[in-house]
Amino acid sequence: MNTSISKDSPRTRISVSELTKTSLVAAVYVAVTVLFSVISFGAVQLRLSEMFNYLALYNKRYVVAVTVGVILANFMSPTWVLDVPIGGISTFLVLILCRAITKKITNDILKMVITALIFAISMFTVAGQLTILYDLPFWPTWFTVGIGELLSMIVGGITMYLLNKRIDLSK
Amino acid sequence: MMEKMIFGRFMPGDSFVHKLDPRSKLLFVFAFIIIVFLANNPVTYAALFVFTLLVIFVSRIKLYFLINGLKPVIILMAFTFLLHIFFTKEGELLYHWKFISIYEEGLKQGIFISIRFLVLVFMTSILTLTTSPISITDGLEVLLNPFKKLKLPVHELALMMSISLRFIPTLMDETDKIMKAQMARGSDLSTGPIKERVKAVVPLLVPLFVSAFKRAEDLATAMEVRGYRGGEGRTRYRQLKWDSKDTLAILLLVAMTALLITLRS
Repeated sequence: MNTSISKDSPRTRISVSELTKTSLVAAVYVAVTVLFSVISFGAVQLRLSEMFNYLALYNKRYVVAVTVGVILANFMSPTWVLDVPIGGISTFLVLILCRAITKKITNDILKMVITALIFAISMFTVAGQLTILYDLPFWPTWFTVGIGELLSMIVGGITMYLLNKRIDLSK
Repeated sequence: MMEKMIFGRFMPGDSFVHKLDPRSKLLFVFAFIIIVFLANNPVTYAALFVFTLLVIFVSRIKLYFLINGLKPVIILMAFTFLLHIFFTKEGELLYHWKFISIYEEGLKQGIFISIRFLVLVFMTSILTLTTSPISITDGLEVLLNPFKKLKLPVHELALMMSISLRFIPTLMDETDKIMKAQMARGSDLSTGPIKERVKAVVPLLVPLFVSAFKRAEDLATAMEVRGYRGGEGRTRYRQLKWDSKDTLAILLLVAMTALLITLRS
């Protein structure tokens, strides 16, 4: 009765192995966030796991993987009700943006620099959230969070660059 | 190491709140976040605070756990409080000493924001403390169902979240093992200049990624062999059930909203 395999079912868009790979990378993201959380939440955010953002440059799959990772990691924040939807949606959109902008660039390092800058700028979402919730001044908050993000991305960028030399992340 | 995980913070129990359907709890908390912004005077803030205490009481969670959950944000909270106290220059002057002057309005705003902070953190913590991550995922899947019309792969997202949740502890253990293995080989992650530490992270990530991909392949094979064909027609092991308790919780929140609207200035 149930002999049809995934090939002829309507859902062939996402293959099972893509789905599990995405899930596992998301799990790695959360594990790294939890184990290496120095100062992860609040106004100054320094997350080693930010380097995962660069993964999206190597393969489209990681856009979803990192988004799911961010969603799950943000569940640990005490204000997750806001962090989860805002973090999830903005990460997803920013990753897509980074892919689109850096598509034609062939130099890996330049790609990474642009991604780092885009992410630092995109921190207005976090700053906006802190402004709404706690009435913190918007511009200084954006600046502090942005600097923290930029630092994380610089450190992460170097790590990712070295990592990609060892394993092919685009597979 | 595991105690760092807030997912692991879920406390099984059989209180009223524990027994609620995850959907109603999620709706409740999301709506609560919105109505918190209705409060704008001492009475409404007091009402919110009492309401939160009531929910804590009903959930039978020890205050200790909630206060513990406050730790990561305590600095931000204190900072916001002080910022309001020192930089709001409205209302009557209450206290003056050299360059420090505290105004009535500043003190009021500081207290209000702190209460808002507290009730938000407490309410959201109650949800994670009384609901297992897997039921939160289940609840979210149902609540996000309307977005299927916008081609959002809700089922796949929920499944990916469940799989990730399942593997987070496994991968954390693995990371720990790899860390110890590399430490035994002389790698040093906790001291030294930042450049050295970054370099030390790479030999940690390589095996972690390799093993994650291997697990993903194995899992995909296992799923395909068992005939996984996506969300259509899939039956569930855990069934969600909405009953009178859930309706009661939502009604309580509606009553609270009405109260806030009447009392706010």
